[in-house]
Amino acid sequence: MNTLSILVVDDDPVIRKLLEQRLKKAGYSVDVAEDGYKAEKLLQKRRYDVILTDLMMPGGIGGIEVLEIAKEIDQNVEVILITAHSSVDTAVAAMKKGAIDYLEKPINFDELFLRIEKIVNVKSIMRNALDIHEAMGTTEQAASRTIQDLEVIAAKLQQRLDLVENELRDSTKDPESRIAASLDILAGF
Amino acid sequence: MIKITPSEIKTISQYIYDISGIFLDHNKTYLFETRLSSVAEQSGCKSYQELYNKAKGDRSKEIERKIIDAISTNETLFFRDKGPFELLQHKLLPEIIDARTPKSGSLKTNIKIWSAAASTGQELYSIAIIIKELIPNLSRYSIQLLGTDISDNAISQASYGKYNKFEIERGLPQAQLRKYFTALGDFWKIKDEIRSMVTFRKMNLMMPFTGLGKFDIIFCRNVAIYFTVPDRKKLFAKIADTLNDDGFLVIGSTESLTGICPRFVPKRHLRSIFYQKK
Repeated sequence: MNTLSILVVDDDPVIRKLLEQRLKKAGYSVDVAEDGYKAEKLLQKRRYDVILTDLMMPGGIGGIEVLEIAKEIDQNVEVILITAHSSVDTAVAAMKKGAIDYLEKPINFDELFLRIEKIVNVKSIMRNALDIHEAMGTTEQAASRTIQDLEVIAAKLQQRLDLVENELRDSTKDPESRIAASLDILAGF
Repeated sequence: MIKITPSEIKTISQYIYDISGIFLDHNKTYLFETRLSSVAEQSGCKSYQELYNKAKGDRSKEIERKIIDAISTNETLFFRDKGPFELLQHKLLPEIIDARTPKSGSLKTNIKIWSAAASTGQELYSIAIIIKELIPNLSRYSIQLLGTDISDNAISQASYGKYNKFEIERGLPQAQLRKYFTALGDFWKIKDEIRSMVTFRKMNLMMPFTGLGKFDIIFCRNVAIYFTVPDRKKLFAKIADTLNDDGFLVIGSTESLTGICPRFVPKRHLRSIFYQKK
């Protein structure tokens, strides 16, 4: 059921292990990275539905940078930031950059699962909307082809009928030759 | 959401028809409720009958405008359905330019194009972008691009030319997006060079067309579908009167004029159809 793929990025080995175990137990497919560089490498290799990243990590790549790199590789990936209480402002700034949510440490797993479920729901609704949009486009295309073909055929038939009408009303000819000429016009269609 | 009763549907749909020509299927209860519930609430009404009474008594016509805004469907894509725009670029514009370019080199080429159900402006701006790219020496041309719509809201949004990411990123290639729009946070705004090419104004297609003059190309896509057959006949007869004899009419790709207007003949170009007067 939970086919969602999640990448966990955290420099703290205890939290990393804990997240990995709990998420796997919940049925998600999980990869872990101990810093931003490892995360970037994994992101280049495969696509994830959700990235769970610590905001503050040693080295040049923090949570914000992971967010930026991930979004550049795949616009559709959703990023949740894990932050210490003191860095909530930074987390809010990250949401402006496209993070979908943030969690404060210590991590409350019930809360985490709720957030992930919400993402799953939104994603499936979005996918449905896109599917419907696609299907509508296809239907519309097929319908327009049929309608346009019929439109041209109807116009040609009307043209013939106009010719037949003129022919039949042509009082300079005798009735029999009018009928013969009309039949010729109709046969030519 | 305020629930609508069958008798209210009768009253309200007749009222909407009278003010806009839009005919709403009586079975589509949800359509009335989803579109009009918030208008009723905003106007302090507890029922649609009350909304109707209030709208009828409102001299400023503010509620009438709100109802039209809510009920009219706004197209949100640029270059929606590539067909008509390829048609414009490769067939209609080149032919009109040929026909309208004066023999004497000093005179300007006059071309008038009308987007009759302009909605929030995407169609007319798409046309303007095509013209900008097709004609390098625009100063030798006098090109009038008019967009009209029944909804005040749509017209003011069109005039402002600001679109959100979702409205713009589908249909519009990145290169054109960056060339003709300026980023404004999560929004994109049309650049002045394109904005200055077009004019928008409010117009109800059910009313007589006054002061429009004649056009070389008319786009009237996906609006007549909301009208009754007798009203469609009236509309396209008026459009025929407003189109130059060698001009072109483009309708929606799933629309038909068979049995609606005998004055137009369909012509095929690649995968699209356009109409000319007989």
